[in-house]
Amino acid sequence: MSTIIVQAVVSGIVTGCIYALVALSLVIIFKTTDVVNFGGGEFVMVGSFLALFALVYLGVGYALALLLAAVAMFALGVTFDAVTMNRIGGRLYTRQTELVPTIVATIGLSYLLKGIVRVVPYTEEPRRIPPLFNAPPIFVGDVVIQAQDVVIVVATTLIMIGLWAFFRFTMAGRALRAISQNARAACLSGMPVRTLRMVVWGLSAGIAAVAGVLFAPKLLITPDSGTLVMFAFAAAIVGGFTSLPGCVVGGIVLGVTQNLVGVLIAPQAISVTPFFIIMVVLLLRPQGLFGDAIALKKV
Amino acid sequence: MFGSPTLRQLAPLLALVLGALALQQLLPQYFLYVGNLLMMYVILVIGLDLLIGWSGQFAFAHIAFFGIGIYATTILGTRYDLPFLIAMPVAAMLAGAVGFLIAFPATRLRAVYLALATFAFAECAQWVARTWDSVTKGADGLQIPPTSILGYAVGNDQHAFPVVAIILALVLAATLYLQRSRFARSMSAIRESEHVASASGIDVKRVKILSFTLSAIYAGVAGGVYTLFNSFVNPDILGVAQLVLVLTMLVVGGSGSIAGCVLGAVLIGILPEVLRAAPRSMLVWQEFFYGLILVLAIMFMPRGFFGAWQAWRDRARHAADKRDAQASQDTRLRAKASTEASS
Amino acid sequence: MSALLSIDGITVRFGGLVAVDNFSMDVEEGRIHALIGPNGAGKSTVFNCISRFTTPAAGDVRFAGESLLADPQYAIAKRGVARTFQNIELLQRLTVLENVLVGMSSRVPGYFPLLPGARRRRIEREAVDAADEVLALTGLTGYRDTLAGDLDFGHQKLLDVARALSAKPRLLLLDEPAAGLRNREIAQVDKLLGELTARGMTIVLVEHVMQLVMSVAQKITVLSFGRKIAEGAPAEVRANPEVIEAYLGKRAHA
Ligand SMILES: Nc1ncnc2c1ncn2[C@@H]1O[C@H](COP(=O)(O)OP(=O)(O)OP(=O)(O)O)[C@@H](O)[C@H]1O
Ligand SMILES: [Mg+2]
Repeated sequence: MSTIIVQAVVSGIVTGCIYALVALSLVIIFKTTDVVNFGGGEFVMVGSFLALFALVYLGVGYALALLLAAVAMFALGVTFDAVTMNRIGGRLYTRQTELVPTIVATIGLSYLLKGIVRVVPYTEEPRRIPPLFNAPPIFVGDVVIQAQDVVIVVATTLIMIGLWAFFRFTMAGRALRAISQNARAACLSGMPVRTLRMVVWGLSAGIAAVAGVLFAPKLLITPDSGTLVMFAFAAAIVGGFTSLPGCVVGGIVLGVTQNLVGVLIAPQAISVTPFFIIMVVLLLRPQGLFGDAIALKKV
Repeated sequence: MFGSPTLRQLAPLLALVLGALALQQLLPQYFLYVGNLLMMYVILVIGLDLLIGWSGQFAFAHIAFFGIGIYATTILGTRYDLPFLIAMPVAAMLAGAVGFLIAFPATRLRAVYLALATFAFAECAQWVARTWDSVTKGADGLQIPPTSILGYAVGNDQHAFPVVAIILALVLAATLYLQRSRFARSMSAIRESEHVASASGIDVKRVKILSFTLSAIYAGVAGGVYTLFNSFVNPDILGVAQLVLVLTMLVVGGSGSIAGCVLGAVLIGILPEVLRAAPRSMLVWQEFFYGLILVLAIMFMPRGFFGAWQAWRDRARHAADKRDAQASQDTRLRAKASTEASS
Repeated sequence: MSALLSIDGITVRFGGLVAVDNFSMDVEEGRIHALIGPNGAGKSTVFNCISRFTTPAAGDVRFAGESLLADPQYAIAKRGVARTFQNIELLQRLTVLENVLVGMSSRVPGYFPLLPGARRRRIEREAVDAADEVLALTGLTGYRDTLAGDLDFGHQKLLDVARALSAKPRLLLLDEPAAGLRNREIAQVDKLLGELTARGMTIVLVEHVMQLVMSVAQKITVLSFGRKIAEGAPAEVRANPEVIEAYLGKRAHA
């Protein structure tokens, strides 16, 4: 019994890393533009299909497929912001964001991407990306750890460090932090806010693609795979929705909880877990574990 | 501006009911089905608009209340043998009661947090419908037997058509009354600024709770209407897809106005039927089209068709005013010139 | 005689910052009492305490002898205290008339559509008449059906005042009604304030425009870094060296 639980926790941490990556991709957008991207899950899904196409049709190696998918998704993110979000939230930084249009636009994005993928013939059947390594699994006592899992954890850690360095050391990253702290002042001080926002959308989509490629060998991908975004939303909310380290902690909490619910309660309850967590956290501690207090606009 | 709706506003409702009675005999079953469906959507969309368009509360739980309305009406009718005329109002009240209860925690949340929490609630509701086998028969779903209203048997779309029209007319009339109440003004006040509303003496929390309740009741009524012309329900009806469908109707039609809701429900509600009529392969494109419509609508008509039409009308009127003003000034100048010339 | 509004040793902290520090102030009925001080002194925070947007950590706020601190925010208007907002808060997508009607929420009986039509129409007609009166008083009659968001800045400021006035308050809290206005518009506000005191209204005025403060206020309280540094008649306050240093002096150097 206890081995099952330990195994559940270990693989929960691995899944949690994926959730953390997707949560990161949501949070960096929300932090800098106040937009909640309901199409975030479709970024992941499209990213993994793109990598799959690259592997199958272009016959490229794994690393190149990952790179191609990430770059293509970066471009998609930038384009969506430039074409759509820029139009509806054009004055985003000079007044309170209007919520409804941004939510509607990202829901539209989600359907648009899902709809496009669905009409591509190859996607009618669930697909699987071959595992990254065919290395034998590692045994720690009775607990099994796949080579793939190690890659996921390492990649998540690297991306976290990369993002941290980006926000800390690069001009663009520092400008973005300034925007998230005081958007109006940043705008007035002449920062290229519009370009920065496109970069954030691109980064977000790129990270989502990486998450998609890492995750795809672990489960089948279909046009509906984007629903995994709800786990990422839950992870982000547990972490406070504005905190990057919060995403990682939230992601791991979610991954582990999900597995424990499956083992200890019932497998059918897994699908409702993220929603339950979202509700409970928002009601009891809306700012999550790491977020800034949510305040009504100052009078 | 206030008081009761004018006769001019109520007359179309009467026409709706009379028209339904007449068309009931003329239209083929399929058209009657689509008619019923669209009328149901109008009720559902207006209910959502009470929250989003009127009170500015971006809540996503609407479909859950719709589901409660369907399941409760069906179960009250089959298990407890309650007639439709009792089962449906009770079901709507039940939906309202649940709306009332979730409103208390919901009023503590704002903006995206409210949207996410209510969305999560709706997903939980769907999960309950899927899991609570003893009541909802889980994923298998429930059969909805034909019902009768005061001895009038409602067994198919043709029978249901005038009944649905009457319910819709009543709902629209109620909404017209509501629109003219001071409560509606309080709703728009909290939408525009909670600070101002509160400083003006409006109990913001109370208004929000009432809006949630009312909105849930509308959804419950729509759920009752669903049972009149459908013979089956399963948990899919509570899914995200339905929610997005209703939201699309609201956005495309134009939130904040009854006419916009009607327009949106009809335009978007008819789309799947049109796609169905097209070659089979078109149906796969449905998601794509919804997505495209949502994105384009919000980009180019953020206030929907109705809002765009209003803006166009206002601009035309404005231009006309300007032209008139210009013309009268010209006349005045010319008159002045002529008096000066003659003196 | 006892004051209409009496603020008694209130303290407000935001994290480590003491925004208002053991502040007391009495406002006599029928007066215009100005509350001035440099930016960030805590003036708006004092208003927020009176109108229950903030709860002080210590101290009490009494209006007509009763403490306001137990009331919920929306009940303050009913007691007869109305306020405006420093950064214009309006119901942007409602008309000017509707803004003013909303302002009356505390004194027009609420009704659901079920009331008999005649009674409802009478209530509404009286409300609209009263609103028109307020619009006339504030010079907004010509904009009755304009959307508040479409008004120019000066008229938006006036509409904020009109909305507060429509509650027929005993005490009106004005937070920088003249900020950003042109001289002609300031004169208009000056005249309006005069008319309001002539009707017996009590006003607390927060304002940086000294020319307006000196012209209308009967008493001035000066706040700096959350503390009261001076209080008295305009002439006394103007001569007070501490005030000149903390407030006017800063201006003079700027
Ligand atoms: N909600 C809040 N959270 C944190 N700090 C606040 C909040 N409200 C006000 N403050 C701080 O309290 C201090 C007093 O602010 P307040 O707005 O009362 O000043 P003020 O006298 O009205 O200034 P101004 O003349 O600029 O309007 C300021 O330092 C301000 O930054
Ligand atoms: Mg202030």
